Amino acid sequence: MTTLPTPAFTTALAVEACKLRRSLALLLAGVAPLLIAVFVFFNLLQMRKPMPWTMALQSAVGIWAFFMLPMSVTALTALIAHTEHGPRSWDYLRALPLPRWHVYAAKVVCALAIVAGMSLLLALLAPLSVQLAGGWAPALAATGPRDIAPFLLLLGRVFVAAWLLIAMQLWVALRHASFVPALAVGIGGTFFAVVATSAKIGMLLPWQLPVNQLASDPQRAQLTLLLGALGGVTVFVLMLWRMGRREVIN
Amino acid sequence: MLRTHPTLAIETQGLTRRFGQQLAVDGISMHVPARSIYGFLGRNGAGKTTTIKLLLGLLQADAGCAWVAGIDIAQHRQAAARKIGALLEAYGFYGNLSGRENLDLCRRLLGLPTSEIDRVLDVTDMAAHARKRVADFSLGMRQRLGLARAMLGAPPILMLDEPTNGLDPDGIADMRTLLRALPERAGTTVLVSSHLLGEVEQIATHIGILNQGRLVLEGALAALKAEVGHEVALAVGDPERACALAHAKGFAVSRDADALIARFAASENPRDATAALTRLLCLEGVDIHAVTPRQHSLEALYHRNAHPAQ
Repeated sequence: MTTLPTPAFTTALAVEACKLRRSLALLLAGVAPLLIAVFVFFNLLQMRKPMPWTMALQSAVGIWAFFMLPMSVTALTALIAHTEHGPRSWDYLRALPLPRWHVYAAKVVCALAIVAGMSLLLALLAPLSVQLAGGWAPALAATGPRDIAPFLLLLGRVFVAAWLLIAMQLWVALRHASFVPALAVGIGGTFFAVVATSAKIGMLLPWQLPVNQLASDPQRAQLTLLLGALGGVTVFVLMLWRMGRREVIN
Repeated sequence: MLRTHPTLAIETQGLTRRFGQQLAVDGISMHVPARSIYGFLGRNGAGKTTTIKLLLGLLQADAGCAWVAGIDIAQHRQAAARKIGALLEAYGFYGNLSGRENLDLCRRLLGLPTSEIDRVLDVTDMAAHARKRVADFSLGMRQRLGLARAMLGAPPILMLDEPTNGLDPDGIADMRTLLRALPERAGTTVLVSSHLLGEVEQIATHIGILNQGRLVLEGALAALKAEVGHEVALAVGDPERACALAHAKGFAVSRDADALIARFAASENPRDATAALTRLLCLEGVDIHAVTPRQHSLEALYHRNAHPAQ
C-alpha cells in the first residue's frame, strides 16, 4: 500500500451523504413538511372567513417549530445514528486511517443539512398549499400581501434556534446503540415543551427554543435564538471531542 | 516510536487490557513474522477479539506496547491503520446500498482509485453480485464482501476475525486458497482468528494460542509440532503386560483402550524407536496387530496448551 494523504473532511461528508441514499431518513425529511402543508390546506378550507397570508404562513411555521421539528429531529437523528448502530459498523469506521472526528462531524453536517432542507421544503410547500386552498375555495383565498421574506426569515431563525436541540438529540442517538434513549429524550423534551409552553423557564428548554422565535417579545426571541445557536455549537464541539475519544465496546 | 524490525509485521510487548476487574488481555507479547499466516487461537472469551481491537487502535491498552509494520499504534494510530485491512466479526455494511456502493464508500475514505473496487471484487469472486443490495446478500456473500473491503488498497497486513463464518464448504475452500496465496502473491501478512482448527492448520505458518488472556504458545506451526515429538499407537493382544514391559525398558507409554500409545522425544528417530519397541514386545511374546504412527495435529497442540488442566 502506498502512503496516501488523509482524505479531506469533504470526503467523509460526501460518504455520509451517500449512506443516506434510499434511507428512511430522506423519506422522513420529505414527509414531515408535507404533512404540515396538507394540514394548512385543510385548515384553511374549514375556516369561515379568509385568513391573511401572513397568518396562514405563520401558522405553518408555528406547527413546524412547536411540534413537528422537535419530533422530526428526534426521529431523524436516531435514523442517522442507526445507519452505523444497525449494521454495527462503528468498529470498521473507527479503525480507518482518518481522524475520527471526521466521521462524527460529517453526521452533524448531514443532520443540519437535512433539517435545513426540511425547512426549505416547508418554505416551498406552505405557500403552495395556501395558494391551492384559495384556488379550491376562492371565497376562502388568503388575503393581504403575500410577504414571503419575513416567513423565510422566521423559518431561518427557527432552524438556527434548533441547533442545540439537534446537537443534544444527535449526541444521545450516537452514544446509545438502542433507539430507546434517543426517543425517550426527544419525546420527553417535546412533551414538556408542549405542556409548559407559557412557563418562563420553558425558554431554556432546548425543545422550546425554536417555537420561541414566534414570541411576541422580541427580546425573548433574540435570547432563545442565541441560546440555540451558541449552545448548539458548544454541544457539537463537545460531542466531537468526546465521541472521538470514546471506546466503543460491543 | 518507529521500530525497524524488518522480520516482524506485528509485535506486542506486555500488552494488557482490563475491563473492570476482568483482565481480558494479560501481558501478551506476540510476534507475527512478515509474510506469515498467523493463526490466532483460543476459546470464546480468551481475549482474541480484544487483542485484535487493541491492534486496530479501537481500544487503548492499560499497559504494554504494540507495533504494526514497525509503527507504534498508540502514538500513530492513523499511520498504523494505513497498513492494516480488517475483517471484523461485526462486519458492518449498509443494507440499503449495493455491494459495490459499500466498497466505494470505503475506497473514498481511503483515498484510493476507483479501479481498486474491481480488483478486490475479482479477487474475492464477488463481481457478479456487486450490484445487488447488501440486504439481499447471504452470510457467505457478506463475508466475502468483508474480505474484499479489507483488501482495498492492498494493505501489507490483514486481520481477519473468523473469516470463514457463514461460508459453505466451497466458500471455505476458496477462502483457504486465497489466504494461502496472499503472502507469496502480494507479500501480505495475514492474522486469522478462528475456531476452526482444521482450517487454520491447513493455512497457518505460525500460531498463537490464547488462554484466559495470556499467550500460552506461539511459534512456527511445523516447529511446534516437531517439538512435541512423535506418537505411535500399537494394537496389541495384552495391553497391560505390553505396557509393563515397555515401562520396564524405559519407553514412555500409556494405554488408550486396547491400544498402547508410545511417545518418543523429538530428538529420537521415530523409525528406530518404533522398531526397538516392537522388537521388545515380539520377543516377549506379545501379539502386535497394528502399528499406526499418530500425527500431532494442531488440535492436540491446542488442547494441550489452551486447556492444560484437562
